[in-house]
Amino acid sequence: MSGSSSTSTLSIRSRLFGYLLLPLVLLLIASIWADHRTYVTPMYDMFDRALSHSAVAIAAHVHKASDGHLYVDRQDPGPPLVRAPGSSPLPPPPGDAPFDRDHPSEHFDPEYRPMSWMRLYSGARENFVYRISLADGSTLTGDPSLPVASGEIIDNLTYGEAEHAGLEFRLASYHTVVEGEPIVVTVAETVHRRDTVVRRLDTVVGLSDGIQLLLVLGLCLFGIRTALRPINRLREQIVHREPQSLQPLPLEPVPSEVRPLVESLNNLLMTVRDSTLAQQHFLTNAAHQLRTPLTGLKAQLEVLANETQDNAQQERISRLQGSVDRLAHTANQLLALARAEPSAHGPSDFVAIQLDSLIGAMVDSMLDRALANDIDLGAECEPVQVHGVYWLLHELLINLVDNALRHTPRGGDVTLRCGLHNGAPYLEVEDSGPGIAPAERERVRKRFYRSAGSDGQSSGLGLAIVEEIVRSHRAHLEILDAHKGTGARMRITFPRHD
Amino acid sequence: MRILLVEDDPLVSDAIVRGLATAGYVVDAVTDAESVQGRLDTTHYDLAIVDLGLPGEDGFTLVKRLRREGSPLPLLIVTARDGLDDRVNALDLGADDYLVKPFALPELAARCRALIRRATAAASNEMVVGRLRIDLAGRRAMDDAGRVLELTRREWSILECLAHHSGRVVSKERLIQAIVSWDEEISGNAIEVHVSRLRAKLGDAATVRGIRGLGYRLDDA
Repeated sequence: MSGSSSTSTLSIRSRLFGYLLLPLVLLLIASIWADHRTYVTPMYDMFDRALSHSAVAIAAHVHKASDGHLYVDRQDPGPPLVRAPGSSPLPPPPGDAPFDRDHPSEHFDPEYRPMSWMRLYSGARENFVYRISLADGSTLTGDPSLPVASGEIIDNLTYGEAEHAGLEFRLASYHTVVEGEPIVVTVAETVHRRDTVVRRLDTVVGLSDGIQLLLVLGLCLFGIRTALRPINRLREQIVHREPQSLQPLPLEPVPSEVRPLVESLNNLLMTVRDSTLAQQHFLTNAAHQLRTPLTGLKAQLEVLANETQDNAQQERISRLQGSVDRLAHTANQLLALARAEPSAHGPSDFVAIQLDSLIGAMVDSMLDRALANDIDLGAECEPVQVHGVYWLLHELLINLVDNALRHTPRGGDVTLRCGLHNGAPYLEVEDSGPGIAPAERERVRKRFYRSAGSDGQSSGLGLAIVEEIVRSHRAHLEILDAHKGTGARMRITFPRHD
Repeated sequence: MRILLVEDDPLVSDAIVRGLATAGYVVDAVTDAESVQGRLDTTHYDLAIVDLGLPGEDGFTLVKRLRREGSPLPLLIVTARDGLDDRVNALDLGADDYLVKPFALPELAARCRALIRRATAAASNEMVVGRLRIDLAGRRAMDDAGRVLELTRREWSILECLAHHSGRVVSKERLIQAIVSWDEEISGNAIEVHVSRLRAKLGDAATVRGIRGLGYRLDDA
C-alpha cells in the first residue's frame, strides 16, 4: 500500500518536472550528437588539407641532379626566426587558405611554408612522418616502411589510413612528376591529433549544451512553480480552514482545470451544511417530542405516588418511576450522542471556555444528588482555558460525574480536577468506586456496553458520548487508576495551546 | 404564593399543578402565551413558569414581551431543548432561571422557592432560609423563635452573601470580596475560621455546607 501510494501521491510539480527532465536529457544527447556530426567532417577535411599541403610543399624541394638522380634540398634553413634589426619586414604569415581542389598549387614558396613543413625540418616529430618514393617503389628519402595511401586519386592526391610503428596514422600521398621523373610524396600524422581536437570540441559543445539544458530546466521549474501558484493558494486555504468549516471555497483564484473539483467540493459542503441544519432541526423536534411526554409521565407518577396510601400500589408506582427515569436517561443520552456528532455543531460554536468555572457550575448542579448519596463531591482546580463547545463540555462532564456518582458507594468521594499538564489543559474526574479493570477499559468506551456489575439505570452510552465529545475537541480520553484507593480516574487531555 | 403556568401539554400541566399544590403553591395553568396578559391583568402572581415550545407565540417572545413591558414577575423557563443557545437566550432576554425537561417535581419546587425568595427579599428586605429569618435592612438574623444571632460584621457579610445565593455554591474568592474592603487582605484560611464561627452561631436553623475545593453553600437545614 505504502509503495503504490508513494508513487501516486507525487506532487504535480515533481511529476511535471520528471516528465520534462527525461525528454530534455534525450534532446541534449541528440543535439550533442548532431553538432558532432556537423563539425567532424569539415574538421577532418581541414586536417587532410593541411596534410596534403605538407606533401605538396615537400614535393617542391625535390630536384633532379646533373647526374639524373633526384635529391631533396634539405639545407634550406628557413627564414630567420628572430628578425634582424633594420631588415625588411617579413611578409605576413600565410593563412591556411582553403584548398582549391581544381587548382592545387604546383609551386611551393619556402617563404610561405606551413607549420607542418617547419616541423618536418626542425627534426621530425613522432606524430609526423614522411616518405618520398619513386615509381619503382624505392624510397628516395624518409621512412621506407610508410605505405603509400591507396585510395582513389583526386587532383593527384590520395588519402588513407595505416598502422605504423604501432600507431594509427592518416596518410596523404601526392603523385607528381619532377623533371620527367614520377614521384609520390607521402606524409602521415597520427590520428590522435585530430581526435584530440574533435574531443576537445565535443567537450566544449557538450558543456555549452548542458548549461543550456540547466537554464531551460531552471526556467521550467520557475514556470511550473508560477503556474501552480493558484493551486498552492487553494491548498493553503483548505489547510488553514477550521476543521468543521462548511463555508464554500472561493472560486476566484482557481484555474479552470481545478474549478470543477472546487465546485463539486462546494456542492458537497452545501449538502453537508443542509443536512447539518436538517439534523439540528430534527434533534430540536425530537428532543421536544421525547421529553415533553416523559416530563408529563414522570411528574404524574410523582403526584400519584404522593396521593397513594396503598403500599402495594406505592411499590408498583416506584417501579414505574424507575423505568420512566431510565427511559428519560436513555432519551437524554441518545439526544446528547446525536448532538455530539461533528455534523451537529458548527465552528462558530467553539469558544474559549474556562474549565474551572465549568467545573464550578457542574458541581453546583450535581451537588444535591451527591449529598443524597452521602458522597463528598469536590474539586481541585487551577485556572485553565480550552477552545470548545460549552454545552458539549458540560454534557461531557455531566456524563463523567454521573458515572462516577453511580459507581461510588455511600461515604465515598468524587473529585473533579483541571489544570495544565506538560502545557496541555486537562480535565479529570476521579471516584472512589471499584474502578475499571484494565481488560474492560477499551470495552467500556463502546456504545451500549454495560459492565457486569452496572445497575439498571445505566444506558451504556455515557462513555460513548464522552468519547464523541472528546473526538470533536481533538482531545483524548484516558482511563486510569485513582491516585489513591481502587477507583477510576477519567482524564481528558486537550490539545496544547498554540 | 400564586404561580402562573404557561404549558401546552395537558399531562405536564396537570402534574405540575398537582405537584406544586403539595408544596404549598396555588397554580393557575394556561395553554398559550396569548392568554397570559388577561391573567396578569386580573391576578397577582409571585412567579410564572413558561414552557419555551408553545404553540403560536413561543416562550422566548413571551419572556421578551413581558420584560419589555417592565413586568418584574420572576420567570422560570422550562424547555425540552438542551442547546446552550436556548439557555443563554432565555437568560439574556430576562428569564430568571431555567430547567431542562424532564425534571423531577421536587427540583421544580426548589427552583420556584428560590426565585420567590429572591424576589420577596428584593421587595421586603427580608429573606427566609430554613428556620432563619434574615433582615437585610436591619442587618440582623434571627431564628424562628425570634432570637437574634450575635454576628460580627464579617460573619454577617458572609451570611448575607450566602443567603443571596442560597442553594448555590459560593466560591471562597467571592466571599473574600464580600467581606473585605479594598485596603484589607484576607486569606482563605481566615474565611474558614469565620465560616466555622458562623456555623456554630446558626446552630440547626440553617446549614453552611463546605464544598471541597469550591466554596460554601447555604442550605435550609
